Amino acid sequence: MNEHVLDCFGEACPVPLVKAQNKMKEIELDDILVLQIDHSCAMKNIPEWARKEGYNVEVEEIDDGEWEIIIEKNK
Amino acid sequence: MAKESKFFNKVKDNEFYKKWLKTPYTYITGAVLLSLFQIVTLATTQNPWGVSGVFANWGAWIYEGLGGSVDKWYYFSSRGAQATLDAGFLNHPGTMRNLGIIFGALLATLMASQFKIKKIKNKKQIVAAVVGGTLMGYGSRIAFGCNIGALFSGVASLSLSGWVFACAMFVGAVIGSKLLVKYFM
Repeated sequence: MNEHVLDCFGEACPVPLVKAQNKMKEIELDDILVLQIDHSCAMKNIPEWARKEGYNVEVEEIDDGEWEIIIEKNK
Repeated sequence: MAKESKFFNKVKDNEFYKKWLKTPYTYITGAVLLSLFQIVTLATTQNPWGVSGVFANWGAWIYEGLGGSVDKWYYFSSRGAQATLDAGFLNHPGTMRNLGIIFGALLATLMASQFKIKKIKNKKQIVAAVVGGTLMGYGSRIAFGCNIGALFSGVASLSLSGWVFACAMFVGAVIGSKLLVKYFM
């Protein structure tokens, strides 16, 4: 199991979502993707997409206006 | 100091604070609120809600402030447009509403403790912002409205033009997203 961190600070929608989708294709089963974002709409559309795909998702507020979205490639 | 942080910790964990100020509203809640406020706008100003047309007026006021004159410009040549410009910045309902949106958005992000000044990541972002902003500004003026004035208010007024705008915007958004992924990522 590997952890991949994707720095999307300063990126506006829909760039973090597209980056997350591409990265999820690349990584292996049971790997974890940590997406760092500071754009509140990415906090909505990325978990929405990931849950629809059936992945486990968790969102954590790490600082004022900064979040980490943790996606597990469990399938 | 300790007392203060205790107070803010208490606010932070309050269920109503979380519900109303911290977490984003659902799309449905947003849609209902927008619909209600656009009715208020129509009732108080006698005009449907618009956003981008106001910026054209701001530009005209700045240009006039610098000593220019726009009365011969086609866009501002109508009597109505001239009357609006003559009445001034402070008597323009759209101006007040746009300022309200800007300060309201700032207030909302401050209340949720999510305010952040974002850094520019690379030069491409500057190019994208300038090109995108120019195209959006130009497009909204030749279409006489943006996604609010032409789409939202158009559809809400049962006007066919709103739906035509919606279709065109959908196609434009698809092309725009493809270009974005190709050149700016």
